[in-house]
Amino acid sequence: MFSYYLKIAWISILRHWGLSLLMICAIGLGIGAAMTTITVNYLMSADPIPHKSKQLYYVQLDSWDVNDPFDEGLNPPDQLTYTDTTNLMNAQKAFRQNAQAQANGVIEPNDPELLPMSVSGRANSADFFTMFDVPFIYGSGWSHQADVNKEQVIVLNKEINDKLFGGEDSVGQTIKLDGNIFKIVGVIDQWQPKPRFYDISTGAFNDSEDIFVPFSMIAEQKIGRSGNTNCWKPSGDGFQAFLASECIWTQFWVELKTEQDKQDYQTFINAYVEEQKAYGRFIRPMDNRLTNVMDWLEHQEVVADDAKMMMAMSFMFLIVCLLNTVGLLLAKFLGKAPEIGLRQALGASRATLFSQYIIESACIGLAGGLLGLGLAFLGLIGVESLYGEYMQGLATLDGTMMILALVIALVSSIVSGIYPTWRACNIQPAQQLKSQ
Amino acid sequence: MLVMKNVNKIFQTADIQTHALRDFNLTVNEGDFLSVTGPSGSGKTTFLNIAGLLETYTNGDFLLDGEDVGKLNDKGRSRMRNEKIGFIFQGFNLIPDLNLYDNVDVPLRYRGFNAKERRRRIEENLDRVGLASRMKHLPSQLSGGQQQRVAIARALATDPRFLLADEPTGNLDSEMAQGVMSLLEEINQQGTTIIMVTHDAALAKRAIRQVQVKDGRVSELDLVSHRAIA
Repeated sequence: MFSYYLKIAWISILRHWGLSLLMICAIGLGIGAAMTTITVNYLMSADPIPHKSKQLYYVQLDSWDVNDPFDEGLNPPDQLTYTDTTNLMNAQKAFRQNAQAQANGVIEPNDPELLPMSVSGRANSADFFTMFDVPFIYGSGWSHQADVNKEQVIVLNKEINDKLFGGEDSVGQTIKLDGNIFKIVGVIDQWQPKPRFYDISTGAFNDSEDIFVPFSMIAEQKIGRSGNTNCWKPSGDGFQAFLASECIWTQFWVELKTEQDKQDYQTFINAYVEEQKAYGRFIRPMDNRLTNVMDWLEHQEVVADDAKMMMAMSFMFLIVCLLNTVGLLLAKFLGKAPEIGLRQALGASRATLFSQYIIESACIGLAGGLLGLGLAFLGLIGVESLYGEYMQGLATLDGTMMILALVIALVSSIVSGIYPTWRACNIQPAQQLKSQ
Repeated sequence: MLVMKNVNKIFQTADIQTHALRDFNLTVNEGDFLSVTGPSGSGKTTFLNIAGLLETYTNGDFLLDGEDVGKLNDKGRSRMRNEKIGFIFQGFNLIPDLNLYDNVDVPLRYRGFNAKERRRRIEENLDRVGLASRMKHLPSQLSGGQQQRVAIARALATDPRFLLADEPTGNLDSEMAQGVMSLLEEINQQGTTIIMVTHDAALAKRAIRQVQVKDGRVSELDLVSHRAIA
């Protein structure tokens, strides 16, 4: 019977093409608006590293001013001091650990025809690459030994390697960064986690970096430091004083395989802070946190409130479109009352007719969903052009979103069709036949 | 066999009660060709609608082939309409969007016949009413008489035990009306029980039995039946 219902629906849609087109447009507009905002929200709040996001933890220690909490929510600072990061790194208590900070520098190409170029960089530990599943085209990250020995090694991204070496395997060659010679150990493939979960302090949707060097290069002053720095008391004079200060500008991630590992690490950092209190540090009540990737993104409100508001408004618009569809379906189905009565006279039960007209509603919904997908596609292009680089890579419809659009359209149209269908099927057939 | 005993039908609005049928008693035997006449508003169409399970009755007993119709739910009533009853309406009631083939196909779909069986029945019944060559035409491309023939083909496609006709010639000229009546007589001779509501006394006389409905009651049944038999 399903194919028969489809055939009848198709004939009916063609017969009342004007009304059907209005309904398809109403559903399409609603779905288009809703899917545009849902897609942006979905991609903003997507799990950037799903297979291990519950094993990666961001470390927070409350080293802030006793009289003035870091924020109004009494949360511990969102970064660590260099001292704490270095101490935690040296302890090596986690399965993997990564100390990192944002950096920048200028590369002087070996090719005299190329101009020096400013690059964004990250100073990080060897584990960064394995912890965050960074893909390599050539070579790999550096070793732990390179961290310890403060070796001047570097990993390039594909774009920089293309510029400097024409895309060839550059592993083993050297480049000059901020006047220092670095040996290339690896070239990473395209890698743009969205959100850029490993460091959202300077923008959750910024591009990943051009170059990566050992964390020790900052202390060695082989590369310039960048990113956010916050201090609650003066840092003193000179770079070494800054490194030893209570200013926060570094981040620390650990990979912990099990819940037990997490508890053990929590015990460790609590003990560490207790120990530091003996030196007159950590004077606030103890509040040390290990937060996994998704909780960290949630905590940092990666999905902006206005994006959520836009999504809510687009859903309201969808509801208005669906209410219009209910009215149009009601007009259409009640106009078919004589046919409904006739079909009842010929042996169709109410349940049979209900199925038939719900399938007709679903067909209209499906067509509306396809139109909505097209409109959402255009809407996302509009969002991308409006917000520029910030939205690049976020404003795309993936398979999940396409299926979701069609499912929402189908469910919406079926829900819209229930009342009109129920009304039409509940008139006595004798009354309907009179109007024939 | 169709049996109605003391059937009442009351239409109720906010202020007014209208008795369409009052203690309506009628038995229609297998193979009957019964004509039902009566003035407008006498209740003859209400009777036909109740007989065809298109309308519920207020109280009384109604047995169709021994089954108590009052105890059937919507699904049971639909099944009974599909399996045992065929309808012919004054206004033909063909679905304008469907061609003749698909119009006759409608009750067969609800019966659940397979495609081969449906095709056989559609072709056979359109052939029976002389329209096999026009099965791809839309109803609007046919004359009134031809449309009524399609409606008859549709009604017969499920091999119903009862054929209920409400003014089947009401929208036809006399020549077409004669053709339709001849067809109904032929169908009755082949064993189908026919109940026909009509205003036309001449057509009513062509039935085997005649009853008259007045003020919601069957009247002059013996007299009319006797005359018909004589």
